[in-house]
Amino acid sequence: MKFLHLVWSGIWRKLDRSILTLISIVNAFLIFGLLQGLSSGIDNVAKESSAAVLMTFSKVSQIEPIPMGHVAQILTVPGVKAVTPMVIFSGTYRSPLQIVPAIAVNLDQYLAVYPDVKVAPDAVQAMHQTRNGALVGKKLAQSYGWKIGDTVPIKSVLWLNRDGGAVWPVKIVGFLGGDRGGPTMLVNYAYVDEGRTQSKGTASFFFLKTTDPKLATEIGAKVDALFANSPHETRTVTPRQMAQTQFKQIGDIALVINAIVGAIFFALLFSVGAVMAQSVRERTPELAILKTIGFTDGAVLALLLAETLVFCLFAAGIGLGLAEIAFPLIRKSIGFQASAGPILLAGLGFAVALAVISGAPPAIRAMRLQIVDALAGR
Amino acid sequence: MASLVSVKDVVKRYRRGREFVEVLHHLDLEIAAGEFLPLMGPSGSGKTTLLNLIGGLDLPTSGEVVVGGERIDRMSAGQLARWRARHVGFVFQFYNLMPTLSAAANVELPLLLTSLSGSQRKANVAAALELVGLSDRARHKPNELSGGQQQRVAIARAIVADPTLLVCDEPTGDLDRENAEEILSLLQQLNREQGKTVIMVTHDPKAAEFASRIVSLDKGSLVGAPAGAPVGQGA
Repeated sequence: MKFLHLVWSGIWRKLDRSILTLISIVNAFLIFGLLQGLSSGIDNVAKESSAAVLMTFSKVSQIEPIPMGHVAQILTVPGVKAVTPMVIFSGTYRSPLQIVPAIAVNLDQYLAVYPDVKVAPDAVQAMHQTRNGALVGKKLAQSYGWKIGDTVPIKSVLWLNRDGGAVWPVKIVGFLGGDRGGPTMLVNYAYVDEGRTQSKGTASFFFLKTTDPKLATEIGAKVDALFANSPHETRTVTPRQMAQTQFKQIGDIALVINAIVGAIFFALLFSVGAVMAQSVRERTPELAILKTIGFTDGAVLALLLAETLVFCLFAAGIGLGLAEIAFPLIRKSIGFQASAGPILLAGLGFAVALAVISGAPPAIRAMRLQIVDALAGR
Repeated sequence: MASLVSVKDVVKRYRRGREFVEVLHHLDLEIAAGEFLPLMGPSGSGKTTLLNLIGGLDLPTSGEVVVGGERIDRMSAGQLARWRARHVGFVFQFYNLMPTLSAAANVELPLLLTSLSGSQRKANVAAALELVGLSDRARHKPNELSGGQQQRVAIARAIVADPTLLVCDEPTGDLDRENAEEILSLLQQLNREQGKTVIMVTHDPKAAEFASRIVSLDKGSLVGAPAGAPVGQGA
């Protein structure tokens, strides 16, 4: 600790240059944090999906509706415990920016497939009794100022109702509990299906609860076999496979992110290394004096490495801190939950590596400095 | 008086390109403890080289350098560094202070290598600064001090760890007459009152007034008074 002021003063010896270098490192670690946040968010979407649940959709296209008649047949497959239809009912509230992620389900079947979704018994009862009833996540209700009993207009992006309009009034009858990460509004399937003008008697997807997650692939194959060569062939996968398939449609995101982060750090290595080398060159007489008054070669090496390490950790801490602040914003904007802890640890690991790799060559040169030559300006 | 520094048959050669240049030729010198010794001579005569050998900053090509009974010419770089920290204080022509540190922090540097506590270091720094008359400048950075004041800070740094030997390389070379005399007086005071042995490379004839004797070098050999013979008029 007694050397800390020496280390700290060495870092800020050339204030303008140090600040510019600091900004570049902060920037690099901010980008690292945000991109890794995105990457981990995508991973989390896949991980959060339970392997005990299967998803069945049209083999032709994921937007092609499938008939409700499939439900009864799917329930005959051994290992299928429950099936819920699901219709995408996402829309907007008053303005196009007030997005409402919603699905239409048969509530009892939905809760059988997703027992982790907690809904108060009186809310379930109210949904049964209210045709246009809706259950909403508390955060969504808070952000739009909804209370139980309110009737709110949802402008569907997919479905026109019998009036020819896209606005569907729904009545808030309760709240969704548990750690739901998906749609934050549930409405009755019957309300949507009876009211829409097309695709009646169909669902966007079916979600299947299996008795054993290990049998998921086998059960999925049996379900798809039921409808092989029919007009409505199906594809049944785990939500994790589904999420990965969707993300792969826009490329291997992890590879792209890692390539970007790698390029940034590669460039940073050279810039920080050049700054450190320049700093050591400028301080040759000062380093010679330290050696003259008794600092050993090892002490000079350690001092300069400590300078680089403290500087890189300080800058990385700021960058990662800014990224940490931005993680909730990422979630709000794209719905992914980033894993902050592992990203911060990885970032600090990168900072240490950056400091050691870029700081070692000039520090070793300083360690080998010959006092007499350095004092003589040779 | 007992000999503090003993230089015996020392040769120092440097490589210049493909050639070796012999800077010191079989040099012998004895310096008693408590001496105030100016090393004089024309540029390139080997004064600084000899000073560097005595101060443990460089090693001779051959010969012996004994300081305080220790063969420093046989020490490794690490041993020499630790030996310098304990026994030698250095003062240079251009002060060589750390520009980012305050005067007090500059003076404290040699103490960072000791096991002294923070409060002990602070007390020693304060005492050293008081001795050179700069207690009121402790928080100032070098660029906020005059040349004479910077050299006083350098002297405080040199004495703060209480070394037996002060090695000064043209300490008045960058100062005006008035400041130069103050620095010489300060070094003499340290010699007389603190018992420090002062060896000083200088071109300043005023330094002779403070010296017990003068050693002159020319082309790598001692000239004039024989080594060890007292010729000075001062102390």
